Amino acid sequence: MYTSAAFRLRALKGRTDYRRLARCMSTSAVASSSSAGGLLGWLTGGQSSSGTPLDFPLKDVTLPPPLPDYVEPGKTRITTLPNGLKIASETSASPTASIGLYVDSGSIYETPASFGVTHLLERMAFKSTTNRSHLRLVREVEAIGGNVTASGSREHMSYTYDALKTYVPQMVELLIDSVRNPAFLDWEVNEQLKKVSAEIEECSKNPQHLLLEAIHSSGYSGPYANALLASESSVNRLNSTVLEEFVAENYTASRMVLAASGVDHDKLLEYVEPLVSDLPNVSRPLEPKPIYTGGDFRRQGDSGITHFALAFELPGGWIKEKDAISMTVLQMLMGGGGSFSAGGPGKGMYSRLYLRVLNEHPQIQSFSAFNSIFNHSGLFGIQATTGSDFAVNAIDIAIKEFIAVATPGQVDSKQLDRAKQSTKSAILMNLESRMVASEDIGKQILTYGERKPVEHFLKAVDDVTAQDIANTAQKLLSSPLTMASYGDVLHLPSYDAVSSRFHSK
Amino acid sequence: MTIRHLIKLAGRRTRRPSYSLTSLHPLSTAVATAPSPSLPSPPPPTAMVYDRLAESVKQKIKKLEDPDPRFLQHNSPHPTLTSHTEILSAPATRVTTLPNGLRIATESTLASKTATVGVYIDAGSRFESEESNGTAHFLEHMIFKGTERRNARELEEEIENMGGHLNAYTSREQTTYYAKVMDKDVPQALDILSDILQNSRFDERRIIRERDVILREMEEVEGQTEEVIFDHLHATAFQYTPLGRTILGPAENIKTIGKEHLRNYISTHYTAPRMVVAASGAVKHEDIVEEVKKLFTKLSTDPTTASELVAKEPAIFTGSEIRMLDDDIPLAQFAVAFEGASWTDPDSIALMVMQSMLGSWNKSSGGGKHMGSELAQRVGINEIAESMMAFNTNYKDTGLFGVYAIAKPDCVDDLAFAIMHEVTKLCYRVSEEDVIRARNQLKSSLMLHIDGTSPVAEDIGRQLLTYGRRIPYAELFARIDSVDVSTIKRVANRFIFDKDVAITAVGPVQGLPDYNWFRRRTYWLRY
Repeated sequence: MYTSAAFRLRALKGRTDYRRLARCMSTSAVASSSSAGGLLGWLTGGQSSSGTPLDFPLKDVTLPPPLPDYVEPGKTRITTLPNGLKIASETSASPTASIGLYVDSGSIYETPASFGVTHLLERMAFKSTTNRSHLRLVREVEAIGGNVTASGSREHMSYTYDALKTYVPQMVELLIDSVRNPAFLDWEVNEQLKKVSAEIEECSKNPQHLLLEAIHSSGYSGPYANALLASESSVNRLNSTVLEEFVAENYTASRMVLAASGVDHDKLLEYVEPLVSDLPNVSRPLEPKPIYTGGDFRRQGDSGITHFALAFELPGGWIKEKDAISMTVLQMLMGGGGSFSAGGPGKGMYSRLYLRVLNEHPQIQSFSAFNSIFNHSGLFGIQATTGSDFAVNAIDIAIKEFIAVATPGQVDSKQLDRAKQSTKSAILMNLESRMVASEDIGKQILTYGERKPVEHFLKAVDDVTAQDIANTAQKLLSSPLTMASYGDVLHLPSYDAVSSRFHSK
Repeated sequence: MTIRHLIKLAGRRTRRPSYSLTSLHPLSTAVATAPSPSLPSPPPPTAMVYDRLAESVKQKIKKLEDPDPRFLQHNSPHPTLTSHTEILSAPATRVTTLPNGLRIATESTLASKTATVGVYIDAGSRFESEESNGTAHFLEHMIFKGTERRNARELEEEIENMGGHLNAYTSREQTTYYAKVMDKDVPQALDILSDILQNSRFDERRIIRERDVILREMEEVEGQTEEVIFDHLHATAFQYTPLGRTILGPAENIKTIGKEHLRNYISTHYTAPRMVVAASGAVKHEDIVEEVKKLFTKLSTDPTTASELVAKEPAIFTGSEIRMLDDDIPLAQFAVAFEGASWTDPDSIALMVMQSMLGSWNKSSGGGKHMGSELAQRVGINEIAESMMAFNTNYKDTGLFGVYAIAKPDCVDDLAFAIMHEVTKLCYRVSEEDVIRARNQLKSSLMLHIDGTSPVAEDIGRQLLTYGRRIPYAELFARIDSVDVSTIKRVANRFIFDKDVAITAVGPVQGLPDYNWFRRRTYWLRY
């Protein structure tokens, strides 16, 4: 209907062009393929004439009717089973589905005897279960062309399965079996422990990762200080027994959410319920409380270059939604990044740290704001990489930037509007992806017990005022400083010297 | 005493087995009848640590003996052909061609609050000459640097203020400019795209500044071995033809490319008939058509098509190799490629299935040694590679099909054998199960990739440029499902059997067999 006659003509012309091209392109091939066919046709090859070229529609294909342009976005429906397990889903128009099993478990639940178990669990995901061998599991995933991933963080474990919608029963069955009934065979554990060691080594070479971990481990004391990655010493202590005990204690029905994007809720219930309804209803232990103390971390590394991070805490985390949102906007507002990075406009080139720091000081290689928000606490900071001779100045600059955003009137409305707009579009653009959508459902339910509509968050972003930003920044700066540095750290000012700059005014 | 006696006898027994029968009998009765309290009772079965370990392993294995049928209802490790007709409906792709030849294609998902609009152009580095190689990429950089109406800063701020993204890609045959924005900003995004494509200013000072950026980008690309391998692979496989040149161009060219080159390139290649404006997400077809009609008015309407240009300077595949020996790099990397199919070749789908059959593998992938691909199994079980990946690239008149791998220096010969054996095997021995599995994997990966408005717009733009239409999902699936064992063998015979290969290798690659070894392994001497 929308295809004009002109296009048809054009397309036809285009085709003749292609034909002619094909003919003169493959004179030699044509010569051989024209003689092909017959008994030894396969030997001479080239019988391409048998198929329809891709620029022509294939005959005898029944095309399903197209969807309307407007498909009512699916509401998130949540069902809580008697044992506490929650099942949530929303429908989508895409031909694929993403199903995730999210567990309220992570490195904060580790004890000294089980340090590093989250990391190992992430690696042990989708291995042999008591019902299917690893071989069988791998082949089952391949048979439908699916994609399985697992990842662990401080507060969540997530197991996800992506595939065509047709295969929802298969996805549900395999996903639940691998999380519920892992066999933790010793040889598989040992094999993965080797890979864990390799990963630890890899990450110790990555300054960004190292600093972010250091900020958590020295800023918090208690469970939130637990490292996300296993350490060399904990690898020696980990084995299948530790895994089994940790899973038995933490993977309980009431702490699990099965979330799906692109699946009809009733259909999902039909497949999920029989597989999980027999899990016992165990009341969950008390959630560990984050204890923030602030602290200092320094490690000498390659000379000539210094990486450092300064961070502060905002108590409350996602539960105190207003603060969490202000902190997210603050992060967009300060922005920053690398002095040389790929990508066109839209990566935050007009954020404060770009305009005020990276554009002014060519000595700085990267300078960016980061945040890390948990259920009941959140960290906000600046991370930087610079030549060592400029490191002291860079710390001065970071301090100035922190104090500037905490001073009312320093952030103009243009910058704030830009940051708010970027935050909103980042939320919406991320949610385009079904994987992000499924993860969002799962994690929101684990945190809030419900899924708040995206409009709610967009409105919260809209409501952020310049005063909110200043208040949030002030609250942040009133908490003790956490400082981490790596590289050439000998000339960096002492913790007390930096800390006093924030609290003296 | 008894024990010593016993040892002595036993020793004699082994030495002289012919005596054993006679001497054994009286001995055994003596042991059995002797009531000797000095003998220790046999230790309990759990006394030793190895016994306990064995016991615990046995316990664990026992758990596996009794699978719960509840969890084994739906899955099967054996791939089957499943109908997906019900899930394959998608919003219609509407196409309008303007009188000047510009095509506009959209797919609307009005429930979405974001949209991607992009301009996809049938132009890239293969349409450059020896002297102008690098212009297409240079242009991609310069196009964000200011127009008659907005200078670079205003352009950037405009995008940043609406929280959007503006980006561009240049490849050998295609150039893409796209913007990802909120629904209400779509007209503005189109305005920006039309402005930068038609009214860019190419300020001399900016050109000089951008030269350094591109030279720096070049250094970065040269640091990425995968990019280097594939650049060299094109350079050797398509030597003396335009497809063999790199996208970035040689440094000398970057230093000389100026305003005139850029303007020239735009007027000859950014022509209306070779462009597609594709949009997806919160967009209405009529609105986009109206906007585009108003905005894209200054495009050249030169009727020369890209195919005509390709016909003038076709790509010719030459069996050849490039090796860059460098013992300071810890890992060897190499790629082996055959000439593949063009975009529209009916056999290009079969090649995609073959690529999926060979699969890919890396050390941290969850499949380990259990993957269906026999190449992946060989690599995983024998630990002969760090990673391996089959690739299949299409161009207008040719393609590249092969395997790229990274390995420790002492494994490259084994790895080369595994790769060549498995690739050539496609001509001789193909199991139906492997083909069905590969088809299912291909169907899934194509669909899983389309996740969000940007991949949809990209898919529309690319398909309109290469196929002249957007292939409906159902047709694509039907084409994939029509590939069976005999098709694979036929297509493998067409592209692999006794055909020349192009090889590139970088790093400690002394162990890599010579060219003739590879060439010899493109066929088997049997049957």
